[in-house]
Amino acid sequence: MSRRACRVRLRLGVLLVLTALLLLAVVFARQICPFDPYAHDYAAALLPPCPAHPLGTDQFGRDMLARVLVGGQTSIFSALGLVGVLTLTGTAAGLVCGWAGGLWDTLLMRLADLCLAFPGLVAALGIAALANGGSAGAVLALAVIGWPKYARLVRSHTLTLRDSDFVAAAKLAGESPAFVVVRHILPNLAGPVLVTAALDVGTSMMELAGLSFLGLGAQSPAAEWGSMMSGSRSMLQLYPWVLLAPGLAIFLTTALFNLLGDAVRDVLAPEQNTAG
Amino acid sequence: MKRIISLFCLLLACCLLAGCAARAAARRPGTFALGDPSFSAEHEINGIDPHNAYSGWACIRYGIGETLFRYSDRMEVQPWLASGYERLDSNTWRITLRDGVRFTSGRMLDGAAVKECLEHLIRVHDRARADLKIAGIQADGQTVTITTAEPNPALLNNLSDPYGCIIDLQATTADGLVAGTGPYRAVEMLPGQRLELEPNRDYWDGTPQMEHITVRTISDGDTLTMALQAGEIDAAYGLPFLSLPIFQNGGYTISSAATSRVLFVAMNFSSPVLQQQEVRRAVAMGIDKQSFAQVLLGGNGQAAAGPFPAGFAFGGGVAAPEYDPQAACALLEQAGWVDTDGDGIREKDGQQLTLRWLTYPSRQELPLLAESAQATLRQIGIEVSVLSTASHTSLRADPEAWDMYASALVTAPTGDPAYFFSSCCLDGSSANHGGYHSDALEALAGELAATFDTGRRNRLAVQMQQQILDDDAYIFCAHLEMNLVARAGVTGLTAHPCDYYEITAALQVE
Repeated sequence: MSRRACRVRLRLGVLLVLTALLLLAVVFARQICPFDPYAHDYAAALLPPCPAHPLGTDQFGRDMLARVLVGGQTSIFSALGLVGVLTLTGTAAGLVCGWAGGLWDTLLMRLADLCLAFPGLVAALGIAALANGGSAGAVLALAVIGWPKYARLVRSHTLTLRDSDFVAAAKLAGESPAFVVVRHILPNLAGPVLVTAALDVGTSMMELAGLSFLGLGAQSPAAEWGSMMSGSRSMLQLYPWVLLAPGLAIFLTTALFNLLGDAVRDVLAPEQNTAG
Repeated sequence: MKRIISLFCLLLACCLLAGCAARAAARRPGTFALGDPSFSAEHEINGIDPHNAYSGWACIRYGIGETLFRYSDRMEVQPWLASGYERLDSNTWRITLRDGVRFTSGRMLDGAAVKECLEHLIRVHDRARADLKIAGIQADGQTVTITTAEPNPALLNNLSDPYGCIIDLQATTADGLVAGTGPYRAVEMLPGQRLELEPNRDYWDGTPQMEHITVRTISDGDTLTMALQAGEIDAAYGLPFLSLPIFQNGGYTISSAATSRVLFVAMNFSSPVLQQQEVRRAVAMGIDKQSFAQVLLGGNGQAAAGPFPAGFAFGGGVAAPEYDPQAACALLEQAGWVDTDGDGIREKDGQQLTLRWLTYPSRQELPLLAESAQATLRQIGIEVSVLSTASHTSLRADPEAWDMYASALVTAPTGDPAYFFSSCCLDGSSANHGGYHSDALEALAGELAATFDTGRRNRLAVQMQQQILDDDAYIFCAHLEMNLVARAGVTGLTAHPCDYYEITAALQVE
């Protein structure tokens, strides 16, 4: 293994450990921080960061550290859920188009064209509003505009793989189409799909936080980073910690997932790293 | 490294230039810009025509219209466009008009113009018709004789409501610009966006000092705050209380006044859950009004017991349910609401105790109240789902869409207690959104309507407040102060307890 490959794998390992620590912190938020993220304590309202409240408190006296950690559950797992939905639906649609072709291919690709014809954020805003807000509505809105990317990616790879020698050999050996897809096509799609998904986690988190910030995602008092920022906009000048705590959480988490996505790409598909 | 430093300097220069440009956008001399979140349909202010919903507030606030009588700083009625009045009998009032007053259309103010205006008002404005109870108006030169269908002790108070702005009906334009008698006249209006005003050169009570005034609708409190900081506006009405400390320095002046504006919750009596008085009482006992007023309003308000502030002659002496979570829990259990599945929310007959709280965001304190109540009510096992929307007026018309409606209202805008009850609590009230009915209250309202003695009226008002509190029909949470914040150099812009008078001839920018 070359020195560069070692370095890439080491970077991936470090980032995986950091991601695991982050996920553990948000999963065990209630155990890590003794404060209830939803309990009002007016005596402790708007306290700046201090030993008892490392990230300060908001106007209701809620501990910001507790809210940021618990908010991470919604923000991170919604983003992971969104990427999961995109991956599954996009892969399924792309496989059908690439493998079956014909009418299915035409129908699904025209539908994908329709979805891509609207500006992404505008379409997401409209769909989220129709879904009456909430985290599920926001995920649905972003899934509707996001699946064509995966479908097109999987379709193009499937078209190439369908005509490859090993698929032809499997067909000649009398294998069923379902077996060929599961045994020979899907494993070869895993790399590009995984790399795309890993790179999309950070973006998805930002988009979900954006919808929440606009009031179309998680609703107050739900601890979710975007809605927490939205609810504390008026405090930026006098009580900046109330806004900065969820803002920094979004920044650091998005950066971590983006770096992780890059590392996954460097390991699974180094030829895509145009930066060299 | 040199290149990086050069780039940094270039960036810094750009920022400085941008900052200079922003400062350069400050007002031209003789002009004034006011930011106000309330000039919008969300507040039922659809323009400046006082005969349309609450648009009279814009008409009077921005110095376009004036009423026959106005309120003093102590909320006592005193003549304005009228020079005097005489009560001929319990149903007849003769009002003498001031001489030499001209509408901005050029027409002189006389009895005929007032008669025309008031007759149109009671024809098209339900609330005015119910308040004024006018049966007939006679005009003779500079006098107007008003006959009421029944004794109306609060007639002069009600004529001072913004809907009572006297306008030249013949001069209203197709785009809703009205001609009043105030120091300024509207020249352009985009409801919900902006209003442009120019001085009324023939104003009867002084010389308007500003050459041009722009009222800008800025619904978002943070945007309003930043617009004032950036110098885009010279003054702001209705800034979020959280933002006030930013302006507590020499660069700005803050004018505040205690008002009868109350944040209150109306119960929906067609909601099956709220038809149980135990639930209504438990909700009232589950809201921590003291903490809300002290902490979330930052001391710019007082916890309320009834609709009127305790300082009013008819405001004290009522007892409202105190914040008492334990007693609230006991009441709910008594009514059969018990948390059987341990999720913290009570159930009865398989139904969760969930209440829908409708409110709107443009009154900055209402979403805070909703969130505060949501947290404290959850502690007693009531789940509250909050819907804070600008479309609250259409939603509240549908009794199926909500259980509790939180809003802000000036309860004694006319300095008289009858207004609140006639607007919100009686069978014929246009704002009785929850469908509340009480035989006892109706009887007391009838008595109040026929009582001219002020002391007796005040005692009746206290009894009526107690009645609605005993019925748990409303929860009065806090009385608010109103504030006008202006940059240094702006004079003549003073907060008034009635919350009506903002732009006057005295307004100046040095």
